[in-house]
Amino acid sequence: MANPSSSSDPFGLLGLAPGFDVDLAALERAFFERSKAAHPDRVAGSTAAERIAALSQSRALNDAYQLIKKPIPRAEYLLVQAGVTIGDNERLDPTFLMEILELREELAGARAAGDTAQVAKLQAVMQARRGEALGALGPLFGANDFAAIKERLILLRYINRYLEECDAALDED
Amino acid sequence: MLMQIAEPGESKVKEACKARVVGIDLGTTNSLVAHVADATPEVIGGEGGPLVPSVVHYAADGGVIVGRPAQARALDAPRDTLASVKRLIGRGAKDLAGIRAMLPYELDGDDRSIKLKVAGDRLVSPVEVSAEILRELKTRAEAALGGPIEGAVITVPAYFDDAQRQATRDAGRLAGLEVLRLVAEPTAAAVAYGLDRGSTGTYAVFDLGGGTFDISILKLVDGVFEVKATGGDSALGGDDLDRAIAAALVPGVASLERRVIGAAVAEARRVKEALTEGSEAVFRLAEPTVELRVTRDDLVRIAQPLLERTGKACRRVLKDAELTREALDGVILVGGSTRSPVVRDYVAQLFDKQPLSDLDPEQVVALGAAVQADVLAGGRQDVTLLDVVPLSLGVEMMGGVVEKLIHRNTTIPTGATQTFTTYADNQTGFDIHVLQGERETADTCRSLARFTLRGVPPMIAGMGRVEITFLIDADGLLRVMAKELTTGQEASIEVKPSYGLSDEEVEQMLIDSFEHAEDDLARRNFAIERVEAERILAATRNAFASDPALLEDDVRAAGEAAMTALEAAMAGGDYLAVRSKIEALDVATKPFAQRRMNRAVAAQLHGVSLDDAARKVGA
Repeated sequence: MANPSSSSDPFGLLGLAPGFDVDLAALERAFFERSKAAHPDRVAGSTAAERIAALSQSRALNDAYQLIKKPIPRAEYLLVQAGVTIGDNERLDPTFLMEILELREELAGARAAGDTAQVAKLQAVMQARRGEALGALGPLFGANDFAAIKERLILLRYINRYLEECDAALDED
Repeated sequence: MLMQIAEPGESKVKEACKARVVGIDLGTTNSLVAHVADATPEVIGGEGGPLVPSVVHYAADGGVIVGRPAQARALDAPRDTLASVKRLIGRGAKDLAGIRAMLPYELDGDDRSIKLKVAGDRLVSPVEVSAEILRELKTRAEAALGGPIEGAVITVPAYFDDAQRQATRDAGRLAGLEVLRLVAEPTAAAVAYGLDRGSTGTYAVFDLGGGTFDISILKLVDGVFEVKATGGDSALGGDDLDRAIAAALVPGVASLERRVIGAAVAEARRVKEALTEGSEAVFRLAEPTVELRVTRDDLVRIAQPLLERTGKACRRVLKDAELTREALDGVILVGGSTRSPVVRDYVAQLFDKQPLSDLDPEQVVALGAAVQADVLAGGRQDVTLLDVVPLSLGVEMMGGVVEKLIHRNTTIPTGATQTFTTYADNQTGFDIHVLQGERETADTCRSLARFTLRGVPPMIAGMGRVEITFLIDADGLLRVMAKELTTGQEASIEVKPSYGLSDEEVEQMLIDSFEHAEDDLARRNFAIERVEAERILAATRNAFASDPALLEDDVRAAGEAAMTALEAAMAGGDYLAVRSKIEALDVATKPFAQRRMNRAVAAQLHGVSLDDAARKVGA
């Protein structure tokens, strides 16, 4: 999904150097500073043209902030900038895939049995896997290993979907 | 479904210097109005204090009474004395199935909206009832400020969906107020707190009102109030506790007559309030005869299931904000129901912190709204609210699945674009169904709007591509646009959901939008025919010039006339006229074209390449 107003350069918009390693406190400061000046509320009584300009500037800032704040959208953006795209139906490496499928079956079983303790255990397993995959992204960006980054990002899609299912299962009680 | 065409960049905010503007907390149980005087927000008082009970009495003579005097009529005329209508606003009969049995009113309506039957068989909508309350507040403010109110910020529960927000805005309009902005209640409360204490940090706002529950997490830094995540339950509040108490103490209360239900719930509320100070109270009802001693422990037990619903929402919001409770600098209590020690103890335990309530939890929302009204009117400039979308927004896909374009807790203003493909061969229209909610299927989400994009050129399935764009402005209002990409042709429609309009108005808007869609189709067809006409005119002129020998005078004259007629048609806007003049030119120049073809065939037989001949024809 693309955001229409931040098609340009989200890092530039916030005055940051593009890269995977982001100082989140500096990001927030930059976002707040710019939002204060650009927010439509500042020009609520002004002309239509100024209000529209503030609206689109503010929208672009919000979208840029959302994109950079979270590691997965940030990594996906940087990957696309490096000329590597991830399609909608990318396949996972077969070894990972088998493992995920097995874990998925276990989850379905636990869910059907109403075994929330088991669901929570599987959730913890997956959260650990998520942490590992996210942790790997920084060094891989450092090494410009885009193929490996892409693989991790595809894996993270599977992991996130799995975690959503865990949430749904734990929410049923 | 209801929709309304919106002008891009349209705003309710008028050019204003120092305007007379107010903030209004339109509550389930009580409402109040505040304004900023000398950079400090203060509530506007009136007879019986600043709080106006959100109660409207419709008298048999057609008169309308609001507030405390209306409340006094509740016991003897329960059907004509409407309280807690905030629970009904923007709701359909289906949404209310759960609480209908406990409402002492006569409801009439369908899945989209409901009406209440009051004295003299009058039917009033929750929007109209809310407008009466707003009118009362407006009158108070005008008396206090000495002139007409030029604008108002009205607060809504953060978790209100688009239908409920639109209905609230309509109520403001109906009361003659210019609604500058709808602001989420917990956000407004955080503004009042933040400014009062000059706080910086991350706070949870626990807002339990009469009929709604919100939990928001905000970051406060240097005048910026960023909502990190919000959640809640727009049908959970102190009223539910009153009903739960009544149900626990009077078995089978829901099946009794309305008047008795009303009395039992009122007594339950009195006992609940008595237990705020004391540790026990006596619940007394004359009919059926009930006299029971109730302790605070009893109240804890009865309240537990409701409190757990708030706890679940709080945990989810912390998760959405990616925070633990230890990361919070404080928890702010808002709403009349948080006065109860039962609720306070639960919140303290849930967040492992003593909650803050040093600003009056019943006034803090209106105070924050007044500050935001001042900001929008060009007053103070050191406050910036960064609010979020409370519920995800998406479109229905084939099979009834919802594809989310904007996820909940995204900061507004925002936007998103996604491309969809056609699913049937030669599909010429694309139905777009806009939905709000977290569930995965269309029938479990709130339907906001439906429209059809026409003018998709016939193609095999999957080839047609439609780009759908969602845009949300600072008011939280949604606009949806659709564009057909394959031909590069743009046919777009802008919609925003609306529930307060009459069916006739909505129907007219729908007709207008379809007419526009057809206009767009006609424009597209005209563009195609004009390109074709230009190509044919150039080719014909070229052929006339290169082969004068083959052109008989009468054919030349007929051809020239047909070309003039075609040019005239091109100057108009009717693609069908252009198409028929192209056909006429074809017919007029047919003898000439035939002769040239014959010559080309003859040339071929004599060794001249057909390519060469074709080039001469100008094809």
